[in-house]
Amino acid sequence: MEFRNYCAKINDMTARVRMAENGAQLVSRLEGRQSLRDIEPSIFPVDGGPGQGDVVEFHGSEGTGKTETLYHLITRCIMPVQSRGLEVAVVFVDTDYHFDMLRLVSVLEGRLAEDCKGGDGSENEPEERVRSCLGRLSVVHCNSSVQLLLTLHYLENTFSSQPSLGLLIIDSISSFYWVDRFNGGESTVCQEANLRKCAELLDRLRRNYGIVIFATTHAIMRNYGSDPGVSEVPGPSSSRRWRSADSVTDFDKPYLCRAWQRIVTHRMLFTKSHVSKDNKQVFSTACTSIMTKGVKRCSFHVMEDGIKFVCDK
Amino acid sequence: MVILREGICPGINEEFIKALQSEDIKTGVDNDHQIATFEDFVSCNPEELAQKCSLSYKALVAVRRVLLAQYTAFPVSGADLYEELLSATAILSTGNPSLDKLLDSGLYTGEITELTGSPGSGKTQVCFSVAVNISHQLKQTVFYIDTKSGMCANRLLQMLQTKTPNMEEQMEALQKIKVFRVFDVFSLLACLQHLRSNDLQKASIGGGSVKALMVDSVSAVLSSMLGGKQNEGMSLLMQVAGELKMIAKDFNIAVLVTNHVTRDGNGHLKAGLGQSWSHVPRTRVLLQRVEDAETSSLRTATLTKSSRQACHLVEEFDLCHWSEEKRTSISGKRKLEERSKP
Amino acid sequence: MQRTVPSLPLAPSVKVKLINAGFQVASDLIDMRPLQLCKEAGISQEEAVEVLQMLRDDGQPHQQRAATESLTALDLLHQEQALGSIVTFCSALDDALGGGVPVGKTTEICGAPGVGKTQLCMQLAVDVQIPVCFGGLGGKALYIDTEGSFLVQRVVDMAEAVVQHCTLLAEDTEQRQALEELTVEKILSSLFLVRCHDYVELLAEVYLLPDFLSEHPEVRLVVIDSIAFPFRHDFEDLSQRTRLLNGLAQQLIQLATQHSLAVVLTNQMTTRVSNGQSKLVPALGESWGHAATQRLILHWEGLRRLASLYKSPSQMEATIQYQITLQGFRDAPDEPRPTPASSAVSCPSGNHSKRPRMEDLS
Repeated sequence: MEFRNYCAKINDMTARVRMAENGAQLVSRLEGRQSLRDIEPSIFPVDGGPGQGDVVEFHGSEGTGKTETLYHLITRCIMPVQSRGLEVAVVFVDTDYHFDMLRLVSVLEGRLAEDCKGGDGSENEPEERVRSCLGRLSVVHCNSSVQLLLTLHYLENTFSSQPSLGLLIIDSISSFYWVDRFNGGESTVCQEANLRKCAELLDRLRRNYGIVIFATTHAIMRNYGSDPGVSEVPGPSSSRRWRSADSVTDFDKPYLCRAWQRIVTHRMLFTKSHVSKDNKQVFSTACTSIMTKGVKRCSFHVMEDGIKFVCDK
Repeated sequence: MVILREGICPGINEEFIKALQSEDIKTGVDNDHQIATFEDFVSCNPEELAQKCSLSYKALVAVRRVLLAQYTAFPVSGADLYEELLSATAILSTGNPSLDKLLDSGLYTGEITELTGSPGSGKTQVCFSVAVNISHQLKQTVFYIDTKSGMCANRLLQMLQTKTPNMEEQMEALQKIKVFRVFDVFSLLACLQHLRSNDLQKASIGGGSVKALMVDSVSAVLSSMLGGKQNEGMSLLMQVAGELKMIAKDFNIAVLVTNHVTRDGNGHLKAGLGQSWSHVPRTRVLLQRVEDAETSSLRTATLTKSSRQACHLVEEFDLCHWSEEKRTSISGKRKLEERSKP
Repeated sequence: MQRTVPSLPLAPSVKVKLINAGFQVASDLIDMRPLQLCKEAGISQEEAVEVLQMLRDDGQPHQQRAATESLTALDLLHQEQALGSIVTFCSALDDALGGGVPVGKTTEICGAPGVGKTQLCMQLAVDVQIPVCFGGLGGKALYIDTEGSFLVQRVVDMAEAVVQHCTLLAEDTEQRQALEELTVEKILSSLFLVRCHDYVELLAEVYLLPDFLSEHPEVRLVVIDSIAFPFRHDFEDLSQRTRLLNGLAQQLIQLATQHSLAVVLTNQMTTRVSNGQSKLVPALGESWGHAATQRLILHWEGLRRLASLYKSPSQMEATIQYQITLQGFRDAPDEPRPTPASSAVSCPSGNHSKRPRMEDLS
């Protein structure tokens, strides 16, 4: 771990020396992007929150709370400082065509209302406040890995010109996995070409601009072998870097290309756990990071106005 | 893959391409690879490229910018998106109070809703009733893609007869339901792509009266393609998913699909087509027969996925509910609901 | 048509080459010459010709109609009424089915051995030939026998009964003329019989059916008796079986729609243990249950034979009683029925209860 960290630092430094940078880049780096380290202490390890240039992978099956967690984190980012937000602009790349604005707004409204109750409520109408928060969010839809790559290139300008932009979310980075695997034919290099280019570009973006990247990956493996209908095969290039958390089964095995695995700094596994006494579904996350030892676990419910963390026993 | 060809954008001519390809420019991992596609081109540093190919830096940057503008998706501000959603989103009542309750008052446009269930659990009947309700009550056009020849116009007529005695209205409603019959996945894709590039485009220009698309069923055409060692099946599955999502989003249409069920390790029912598909629908309802009921037409609907309501809500309903033969077994409560319906 | 290359019905290896040569949509390909295409995509000349052929076919009105041209539900209503259905000679069952076994749909008949599946199939193969003037379809039948249970003598019995029945009903000259044509021999010669010994033969037969049906456009009924037998044995890989069966089901549905056929499949029963109770369910697994448009389950209750309509897009679920006599598949004798047993044939419009209503509408 330490060694890798060290290497990363060296790389970072050399990269900076090598890069010819323009004024805007310089400014944005000198000013420093808003830190997201405290974005949500409940789910990230102590002192291990996502710092500048970190890449967090959210991994889990359908219905395990990934998207809800994203909405929670987005809300925290786009809320103004006086409402205990971070006031950070967010770009949401929606490759699954899954983004639910209405849901995000109801989470946001809940959070803002909570804040008003605490006193110091701002003068503005609630509707107006929601809108001004949403102004910090931009959404873009992509329908192929080529479009994703080109869009990320296009977004580079935005990153360099907008220092308030601190978070890039890709939901999900694994969307085009099957289509690309087929289109690439026999060769793994071809199958992974586009995602590899995306990962290389993301690597550059995070280094040059210090943005934080959140990306979701869908579990594609069955964690039981009893379905005759579908047998899904893992990608050939799965690395075993994350010998982590609950890997009793295959479901959390990374399957995306190495270039992607290499830049991930935090990995968060989502699972559905038990149903609590008051009949609520409990979801849990297990976060591992290359910076810190151990696993940070946390549980939450999904409520009408977003996720509510369950206190540790 | 966007191949750099002469004329795909102003400024790209034979010389330009030759210059790019003459030098051995390393593109990432595979060293012998030349710059053939836009993806390769865009991933290169224009400054280095200009030096190596002796092309003007300005020209390279200009071409890059034009091509990017041509092929990328553009970000929309969240505030604008919200504004647009508020004005455009419609909720289509299914005509069935129990189902509407589960779905938080109906099918939402811009989303994919899925009905799953065993054979004979009433998926097709629910599709019929939704189609009838949308075409008759809401006066909107419905696209109905029938992949297993389950469409039965006579049954639609029966359902309409319970709603109105007026034959003209019945005929009008029937004409608003457009049926496509496709029996394999390639035809399904052809149909969806055709809808996306022709019919829906036209309809959306002409005021956007199409509000719903149904596919009964997606599993019928996909399940014979899945499994084995072939990637093609998964690729086709994701293509179908992609087309449906794009139609839902881009044309603001409510998409309703049906899917079969499989049993997991513990014998519990779950939606078919595997993990990758399970992410596709926003809302999922499981239909089941009520065992040992006096009437065989009693069903339960369970919400198994939703971003709006607590999951595992259960509602009971009667398939006869929509037919002219109002059975005596319909409980008093249900009749009340029926009457209180506006 | 805006078709993307990955969605085209082409061999996977060819598609991969086309995609990697930068072809994204069908319109990139359509104007190419075969030689040009084979050079640019690195595929063989035959493959190039095939690709272009497929694209041209795809653009032709007939093919296109299937995938991209819609019918309104009103058109379909007229079509459904024109297609009609095949009577079973058991009026209770006809009523439950809404007039008989529907043309243009697939119907699965499940049941234990000896309950009468094959009898019903043979009855249908004879009944489909009842002349139009007697309210029948005047069609022919194709019978695919996988179990070897087809008995010519039984068909002769049933055919004789049908001829006799029609003779009794004949009134006008048209009917009398039709009667001259309607003989047991004629009925037997309009019933095509195919014997398939295993699933490979069966799949091959179904694969060749479109050609056969184009040559014999009068065929209105295809029976596969049974679908279960060839698929219940010799299968180690169950997921492969599921795939083959699903593919077969879709092919049959397509045939039923495109050639205006009633497709009838028979299936065996198997025991399934759930919650410690064993019960008889149709064979071939649960996902096969989605395959046919209608599912009819024949079963015993004591000495009575019952037929239950388990799944149907158009009819209420119902259970009725029937019997098998020397003449064939008939109504149970003791059950009081408001309409006489012969109503199905004697009054042609009577079995289509929706017909008079339709006339009002149009």
